[in-house]
Formats: sequence, structure tokens, C-alpha cells
Amino acid sequence: MSASSSSLRVDSVTKKFGDFTAVDDLSFEVRPGRVFGFLGPNGAGKTTTIRMIVGITLPDEGRIELWGRSVSGAVQERIGYLPEERGLYKKMKIADQLRYFAALKNVPSAVANKRIDQWLERLELTEWKNRKTTDLSKGMQQKVQFISTVLHDPDLLILDEPFSGLDPVNVEFMIEVLSEFRAKEKTIIFSTHLMETAERLCHDILLINRAQKVLSGSLRSIKEGYGKNLIALRAVGGEGILSDRSLVGRIVQNADEVVVELNKDADPQVLLKRLLDAGTVISKFEKIEPSLNDIFIDQVRGDAKARTEVEAE
Amino acid sequence: MKKFLAIVKHEYRKIVLKWTFLLGTLLFPILGLGFAIVPAIIFSMKGETTRLVVIDRSGKIAERLKDNLSAERIREKARQAAANVYGELNASQEEKIRSGTSQLASGFEFVDFDAAGKTLDQIRQELNIRAASDQIDAYLIIPQDINDPGARFEFRSRKAGDFVANDSIKDALNEAVRSQRLADANIDESKLAAINRSISFESKSISERGEEKDGDSLFIASLVIGMMIYISLTVYGQVIMGAVVEEKETRIAEILFSSARPFELMLGKLVGVGLAGLTQLGIWAGSLAGMGIFLSTQAEMAPFLESVPKITPLMLVYFLLYFLAGYFTYAAIFALIGSMVTTVQEGGQFAFPPIMIMLIGFYFGFAVVRDPNSELSFWVSMSPFFAPLTMPIRILAETPPICQIMLSLLINALAIAGLVWLTGRVYRVGMLMYGKRATIPEVLKWIKQA
Repeated sequence: MSASSSSLRVDSVTKKFGDFTAVDDLSFEVRPGRVFGFLGPNGAGKTTTIRMIVGITLPDEGRIELWGRSVSGAVQERIGYLPEERGLYKKMKIADQLRYFAALKNVPSAVANKRIDQWLERLELTEWKNRKTTDLSKGMQQKVQFISTVLHDPDLLILDEPFSGLDPVNVEFMIEVLSEFRAKEKTIIFSTHLMETAERLCHDILLINRAQKVLSGSLRSIKEGYGKNLIALRAVGGEGILSDRSLVGRIVQNADEVVVELNKDADPQVLLKRLLDAGTVISKFEKIEPSLNDIFIDQVRGDAKARTEVEAE
Repeated sequence: MKKFLAIVKHEYRKIVLKWTFLLGTLLFPILGLGFAIVPAIIFSMKGETTRLVVIDRSGKIAERLKDNLSAERIREKARQAAANVYGELNASQEEKIRSGTSQLASGFEFVDFDAAGKTLDQIRQELNIRAASDQIDAYLIIPQDINDPGARFEFRSRKAGDFVANDSIKDALNEAVRSQRLADANIDESKLAAINRSISFESKSISERGEEKDGDSLFIASLVIGMMIYISLTVYGQVIMGAVVEEKETRIAEILFSSARPFELMLGKLVGVGLAGLTQLGIWAGSLAGMGIFLSTQAEMAPFLESVPKITPLMLVYFLLYFLAGYFTYAAIFALIGSMVTTVQEGGQFAFPPIMIMLIGFYFGFAVVRDPNSELSFWVSMSPFFAPLTMPIRILAETPPICQIMLSLLINALAIAGLVWLTGRVYRVGMLMYGKRATIPEVLKWIKQA
């Protein structure tokens, strides 16, 4: 795909708050019809970046383009943003709030009313239409917030931790809605700490840490490029072999199995043979791909380590 | 513009459709009515008969006193007192006062007491016991020599708080003693009354245009108008603050800011809440006008209505403009506070300074009504913050030249523009700062931020 087909282009964007640099020279592109996973630990600069994309704040340096235009009121109307910190008016009827949010996105009131009814029905909230927020459970409020994000049928959907507080049934339901949006060639940016969810949903990944890009690309290529020699092992005995530094880099003890990280050039077959020769009883021996979670932790830790080393010098 | 209107509509409906708005709107006229009627009802309630023992050691006063305390005499005195206040009374008013006071002073019952052969201390002791056992309500001991400057008239009562009855007794006693002294000195009582009659003093102020105005009613009208402006500014200022804090507290601001410009949102809020305030004020003014029209049909209210200051349509326009000036000045300040704090309670603590400024402005109003043309009146009616509270009173007391009004409006408009700009800067950043209250240096930094 050529660069011109991307719906969002973030170009060398920097944002500072006083002496603190929240986002440092960050560049990336997002393509329509794909789910873009925007990942990073707390305080990495995710929310600041998202706020610049939706036009809440302006970058100090660099440029942000949506569909080839800089962010303005007309562009904002095509964005649906579900912030991580979100809320509803406490003492207001659900339908009234949704109407207001739709009006702020310039949706004609007749259209808004129709869509509100449709969405409430889909999310099984019809009977709550004329109730106040305080009457709703947390999960129901989440669903209402989601409706307010999609009422204007946005072309870009930005969801910051959309599943927190939802039960599994509703998570599945929302994933279904997201795939509908994706099928309509809309752009979805998805920010989360939950690597399992990200792994399942995202086609492309951007990992940032300490205001900077750490990793980016399609999930597939990242995983392949992250060719770590990992073995899941469930066995009795063989501890001596696992502590052989010429073969094994490190081990991670899980509940009922051990994840063995072999040295880069080591052959798993050699490990298996040596374990068998030592008389170890093996019930599981499996070559595994690194999970997104591993990559995340590895990158963020590595980053921190590199930093402490630099600071120590 | 469409978004702006949506914001205005949202803020307006949020307030006006609440039942508290309806209650507040109706409460004011009801309270006003209550203040007018309830005291009248309470005071017209019949007092109990006071059982009184009179020990007349001089032997000259008791008869006169009893005469003075008779129902007819009390009624007559009330009529005279009323006549001094109102000038001349027409028949129906006289009737009212007569029935009113006859209820009030519904009576004294004189209880006989045989004092013969008892010492003063014995008498006191016995009467105290009778009062304590609820046989009498009060007793009065008149000294032997009423002309002795050191003579004491002892009055003891179980009902020390019944000031109506006690005052009646004191007046009646005073009069009885005076009459006795006059009689002793051979002076004709009615002649003396004619000599002593006080003049009728009619006080009105003259405006620069030579029109007469009633000083007392002007003061009251100014107080009412000042109060109305002060109360509505305080109430709607706090409403604004509450609305701002709610959007910050519930994190709705983040969603709003991704849909509309912060300045648009803030201004929409000010205008929407302001319109709600105008709606309420309109209802109040309407009910006041309705009451005025009703009262004007009651013939007996004519002298009262004549003294109400004349309010011209132009004055109403000025009042409206100054209400708006005051509203936007203080609403902007309250919005600024709202975007600095994290909870409504915290905002309440910070609401003190603007309320203090308003209160000072309200008190300046008294200085203005006393002398609308003084230098102080001029400056407070020109300055921002104070003009919205003082200029309407100055206009009512004595409308200043139109160029002064225009200048004052211009100064206030500029101040409002500055305040709204400032609030917009703070609002934009402050609404997205969660967790802790902003400090003054932080706020200054936000203002400077591009």
C-alpha cells in the first residue's frame, strides 16, 4: 500500500509541557480497514498523542493529517473518540445526552433520533432510554458511552481502553461491532494495556515508551522479526541442563510449565536430546512464538535498562 | 454556529427543565407575599386579656389609668397614631385600624386587691405569689408622691415579652400622671394638646430636573432591586460553576473538547445559563408587574402606589443591560474557578472572593441612593465589578446623563471581554487536568500557554 492511502499521518510530532517532553518526534501512519494497536505503558504519551489527533491540543512541532487535511472542526466531525477517562451527565436522561453528543457532531436531529433508537436496541438498552445515568450500572454506562462515540458514523474510531469494565459477552459484542466498522473500510485506533486483546484484534502495532516510538509494523512482521528461541517445557528433572548458560539464556517459571529461552544460535533439538539423555520425564516440549505481552515487557524493560546504563556512564 | 446553538440549548434545558428551577422561580413571589402577609396575620391575632392589679398609694391615678386603658381610649389613640403616619385617613382605612387595634389591645381586666393595713413588702410578696399561681398577670404600684423626681412606678408582669400590652400600660400610666399633674397645676389639658401638636413634615427629594421623589420609597425600591441583582448573580454564578465542575469531574470535557472548540463550549455555557436566568427574572418581573396592576385596582393602595418610584421602559432596558453585564462578569469568574478546582465543594471555598466583591458592590448601592451625584457614586457606577450592582440604583434614584451610562457600559463590556478571554484560556487547559486543584502559578502558566 502506498503512503497516500493512509487515513492518518503523524509526522515528527513533538509535545512538551514545560520541561517535560510528553511526545518526542513521533511519526506513524494508520491505514483504513485495519485495526491499529497503539500500545505503551502508563505515562508513555499515548493519551497526549490521541488528544493531538482528535484536536484537543495542538502539537508543538510536526504535523498531523487526517485524510490529507490538518485537524479542524469539519475533520473532528468524522472522528469518534472514546477516551479512557470518560463519563456521562449524572442527572440527565440517556436519550437527551446522546442527542446532545450527536448535535455536537452536527448530526441532524431526525437522523440522530433514529440512530439512537437503533443503537439502544442493539445494545439492549431500549428500556433505559428515558432513565438517568445514575440509574444505570457501570457496564450499561460503558455501552452508552460507546454509542455516543459511534452515533455520527465516524470514519476514524479511536478507542482508549474500550473494554475495561465490560463483561465478556459485551466485549465479544463490541468486537463484532468493530469488525463491522473495519469491513466498511473505516480506520480504527485501539489503545490498550491488554496484550491478549491487542494480539487478537490488531493488524498493526505501534509501541511507544517514554514519549518515543519503540516498535512499529504489522503484528505478523513484528512477531517474525522477534525471532526468539522459546520452548514451553513441562518435565520432571533436568534442572542442571536448564542452568547451562551455553545453551539456555534464561527461564521463566510459570504455574505448571517452564518457558525456556534458548540462546540465539542454540538448536532446540540439542536441548531435547540432552534432556532425554539425562532421563528427564517430559510431558510437554513445544516451540512457541513470543506473545505480544513478552515483546511488550521485553521492549519496555530493555528500554529502561538501556536508559539506566546511559545514565550510569 | 450550529454547534454553539446546540450547546446553548443544552445548558438552557439542563436548568429550566429541572423541578428545582420551577420551585425557585415560584418561591420568590411566594416568599415576597409571605413577608407581606404573615406578619399582618400574626399581629392581628388576638392577645389574651391581661389581669392587672393596681395599687394606687397616691389615690389619684388609678381612675385615670383605668379610663385610659379602656377599649375606646386605646382605639382612639391608635387612630391618632395612624393619622400621624398617613396624613388623612379615609373611612375604610379607619374601619380597618379600629378593628385591628381593638383586637390587639383586647383588654385589661382590673383585679381588686385589698391593700389596707399591709406594708409595701407584704403587698409585693402577696402579689408575687398570686402572679406565680396564675391568678393575676401583672401588678402596678403607684407611689405616694407622684411629683417626687425619685418616685418609682413599679410594674411587675409574668408576661414581660408581651410588649404590646406593656407599652399600652406604660403609655396610659404616663398620660394619667401627666393629666393629674396638669390638673394640679390648673392647666387645661385640651389647650396644652393643641399647643403641643407636632407639625406635619413632608419629606421629598427634588431631582436635577425639578421632579419630586419620595425618599423613603426610593430607598426601599433600591434595596429590592439591588437585592434581586445580587441574589440572581450569586445563584447563577454558582450554577455555572457547578456545570463546569460536573463536566470536569465526570471527564465529559474530554469528549466535548474533541467535538467543539473549548471557547465555544464555555461561551455556550455562559449564554445558556444566562438565558435561564433571564427566564426566571422575566417571570419575577412579570409577577411583580401583575401584583402592581392588581394593587392599583385597590383604591386604598393609591397613596402607597403614588410613592413608588416611576420606572420607565428605558430604565428597564438599562436594568437588563446591567444585569447582563453583571451576569457575564461574575459568571466568567465562577467558570474560571470551576475549571481550576476538582470538586463542587472545593469550588464553594473559592467562591468566597467573587461573592465578597458582589456584597461590597451591593453595599455601595446604599451610598449611591443617599447621594446619586457624589464622586463615589460616579466612580462605583463606572467601575467594572461594581457598576452592575450600583448603576441600576443610580439610574433609579436619579438617571445620570446618557453619556455616563454609555461610558460605564463600555468599560464593563471591555472588562467582560478580558475576563471571558482569560477564563477561556484557563478553561481550555484546566478542564483536562484531573486529580488535583490547580495552583495560582500553574493557572498563570496556562494563561500564557499558546
